Amino acid sequence: MNKIKRFFANARKNLFTTARAKVWWLIILILAITMLAGFLNYPNYYDKGVDWLKKTTGISLPQFYKLPFRLGLDLQGGTHLIYEADTSAIPDKDRDDALEGVRDVIERRVNAFGVAEPVVQTTNAGASQRVIVELAGIKDVSEAIKMIGETPLLEFKEQAVPAETELTADQKKEMNDYNAAAKKTANEVLKKARARDADFAALVQEYSTDEATKAVGGDLGFITKNGIYADLYDDAAKLKVGGVSGLIETDENIGIIKLEATQDSKEAKANHLLICWEGAQSCAGDLSKEDAKKKIDELKAQATAENFIDLVKANSTEPGAASSGGDLGWFGKDMMVKPFEEAAFSLKVGEISDVIETQFGYHLIYKTDEKIIKEYRVSRILIDKKTKAEILPPAEEWAYTGLTGKQLVRAQVQFDPNTNAPEISLEFNDEGKKLFGEITERNVGKPVAILLDGEPISVPRVNEAIKEGKAVISGSFTIPEAKLLAQRLNAGALPVPINLISQETIGAALGQESVARSLIAGLLGFLAVIIFMILYYRLPGFLSALSLIFYAALVLALFKLIPVTLTLAGIAGFVLSVGMAVDANVLIFERLKEELRLGKPLGSAIDEGFRRAWPSIRDGNLTTLISCLVLFWFSTSMIKGFALTLSVGVIMSLFSALFITRSLLNFIAPWFQGKSTRLFGVKNKK
Amino acid sequence: MVNIIGHRKLWLVIAGALVVASVVAVALWGLKFGIDFTGGSLLELSFKNRPVTTDLASDLASFGAENVSIQPVGESGVLLRFKSVDEPRHQEILKHLGEKFGEMEEKRFESIGPTIGKELRTKAIYSMIIVLICIIIYIAWAFRKVSKPMASWKYGVIAVLVLLHDVGIPIGIFAILGRFMGVEVNSTFVAAILTILGYSVNDTIVVFDRVRENLIHAGGDYENFDKTVNESVNQTFARSINTTLTTLLALVAIFFWGGESVKYFALALIIGIGLGAYSSIFIASPALVLWEELTVRKRR
Repeated sequence: MNKIKRFFANARKNLFTTARAKVWWLIILILAITMLAGFLNYPNYYDKGVDWLKKTTGISLPQFYKLPFRLGLDLQGGTHLIYEADTSAIPDKDRDDALEGVRDVIERRVNAFGVAEPVVQTTNAGASQRVIVELAGIKDVSEAIKMIGETPLLEFKEQAVPAETELTADQKKEMNDYNAAAKKTANEVLKKARARDADFAALVQEYSTDEATKAVGGDLGFITKNGIYADLYDDAAKLKVGGVSGLIETDENIGIIKLEATQDSKEAKANHLLICWEGAQSCAGDLSKEDAKKKIDELKAQATAENFIDLVKANSTEPGAASSGGDLGWFGKDMMVKPFEEAAFSLKVGEISDVIETQFGYHLIYKTDEKIIKEYRVSRILIDKKTKAEILPPAEEWAYTGLTGKQLVRAQVQFDPNTNAPEISLEFNDEGKKLFGEITERNVGKPVAILLDGEPISVPRVNEAIKEGKAVISGSFTIPEAKLLAQRLNAGALPVPINLISQETIGAALGQESVARSLIAGLLGFLAVIIFMILYYRLPGFLSALSLIFYAALVLALFKLIPVTLTLAGIAGFVLSVGMAVDANVLIFERLKEELRLGKPLGSAIDEGFRRAWPSIRDGNLTTLISCLVLFWFSTSMIKGFALTLSVGVIMSLFSALFITRSLLNFIAPWFQGKSTRLFGVKNKK
Repeated sequence: MVNIIGHRKLWLVIAGALVVASVVAVALWGLKFGIDFTGGSLLELSFKNRPVTTDLASDLASFGAENVSIQPVGESGVLLRFKSVDEPRHQEILKHLGEKFGEMEEKRFESIGPTIGKELRTKAIYSMIIVLICIIIYIAWAFRKVSKPMASWKYGVIAVLVLLHDVGIPIGIFAILGRFMGVEVNSTFVAAILTILGYSVNDTIVVFDRVRENLIHAGGDYENFDKTVNESVNQTFARSINTTLTTLLALVAIFFWGGESVKYFALALIIGIGLGAYSSIFIASPALVLWEELTVRKRR
């Protein structure tokens, strides 16, 4: 019994206190950490194990903690944008605030776009102030750029006081000079046009500024007293066919006309009676077509030249007929709709027509007079003049009030309780409230315009001063439009303009390709290093391979935990660090071999090897870290990723060489004590 | 034992010739800078039916893109470089190419404005200077202990010269690659150079440390300085070669399988880190012996 007790006591003592036990514990700790790190990197196997356990024994364990690698833009696709903020219009001390404002607005806009973990940062590069935007995994970059750069400009404006209407002396001189020159040209052209065998059409080609008629030799067609060229009618009437007029000058231009032909044409004068039916053009009545027909037939039966006007006044559905008596005045050809015109011109004076159907309804026509008029076909050369209106800038309809989207606190979609149409309610901050109160106060009874990006979207009339700082935009929105507008208004306007100065966009496909490629590169690099170490250093090489596996598992887990954003260059940095991580092992093993060659026992050779290799290891990693630090400052995101993974790798490699490789060597040392050193790569001296 | 010091003049002549060749290459052809230093646009497309390069070039030129250069990538891809364009213009170009050459996919687009390019260029130069200064300070610190027969600062000077050799030759090689293969020097190249600076200096320091350690062991045997140095080089030989070899193995994997954008980054590192091991053995130590001889001769 005592023996057994003593055994356990010894065992307990040995378990925790002897040097050998410590080594055992270290190895167990290392294995545990490696497993944990491995599961964190690739939880699938653990989860499969859990599933299997559940199926076979019914014991249910939670799945492993899932933490994805954070992939950079070049690996998952996405875009990196650098905007420069134009703060030149802003006083120096406010620039940083303005830049922060830009960042906030961009952030809100980007959030509305629904990208996972967007990055929006500000930086100062010398005198220029920038905002960096990173959108990972985004599909439509172009749309995102549009969305970020867009400035929804909301303004409240009041009616403008008419602007300055007098020309300055310079402008007057400019106008007069121009018009004098035009007059001179016109006189020259007139001379040419009046010359014997002048080619009028050619002169039109050369001089006329009337682009619409230039191609047809200035032909205006037959002009009448009432048509669009009515102002030329009297001048044309004075000419013989083939004759050319003098200068016909107006404020806008100078014309020269030539009479090409004349023709006679009829004009009629008539009154009409209209009975429209519901659905006919411009009809406000509610008669069915059948009823309308019945009605007009009845009226036709009653109508005489004497009572026609009274019938019209009593029955016609034409607006204003009660006072006008349906009088149409004089009209020529092509001025009425076809069926009406045909009927009107075929009637004799004093007759009443049959029922005529047009798109406006049923008509009865009473022709009161008829005459023959002359029509003139003319060609014209037109020479432009400058007018005051052309020189003066167009008058602003709406005047700036100082109230913009800047003073907006919140925009919300709501629905008009009467029409159920979507509208947007606006709530202002204190400054906005005050401004809005003042604006509405001085504009009672007048319209106030709400403009979006310079376009009036709603022009409500102010009924009374509004002091509580709330307004409603009721344009004709669809619900999605209203929602988008509210969202954009809430995101606010950019305090200063921004300018896209750099863009890097990587498609998702290329990203996936890169991930696959760098995985292969990493794996092959890792294998090559391991194989080399085992072949060259034998047993210690094998241990360093184990240590390297630990190293890789731990570094990858750290990348997840810190987290380090992995980029292509970052993965290259990691692979490079694998190559460098064994450097420390190489240094130690070379020293170890030297100590063994000197005939030292394995245990002390290990200690001595580590002690003497340490300064070289430390120095080697230190200079690499210096380079990494500077690289990190050299702030391209791609390079930063490289510097970061390489530094993490270098620091961890120190740990793995000094702690893991050493523990492993100490662990196996007793088994090889005093045996051949060939396993350690030392050739036995003969 | 390999007699390296014995052929010291040969090694130094080779090294000198390589450095001179590099300087000439850079002076003659300069470096072909990438768009992150010059500003410009880079567009990678993958076509269903890849058009002939010259067709693409003339078409883009007629469409108004300036300074177009075209490089086929893989089986269906094309890498286009042209002057920096804004986003609406970028979309126009895409639309135009899509209409003209059929189905394609945009894999990558970068447009870097001239200001950013200029900034990166300045930063690259500053960062190289800062790393050099840091490393010179580090070297001064590493050789702070007085040693005989050679003063410590001479070790330092040689270490720095060797370092210039290690980065000078990759730069020369990239000047040649740029001239004949269109390989560009961009910010990843600068990263590679800085990494070389940090990594390669160690091999030299390790060799020199061993030299000084052996000199102390030898009880200050100044007469056989060259022998002691040769012995030290041989002792650290395996270490220098093996540390470098493992790193190179990893880099070769990146070069072949890591993808287009880190390929030349890996190449620069391979050249620089390979040279670092070579120079610590064949340049640093022979130079040390040569310098010692010159001083001794002068003294006599």
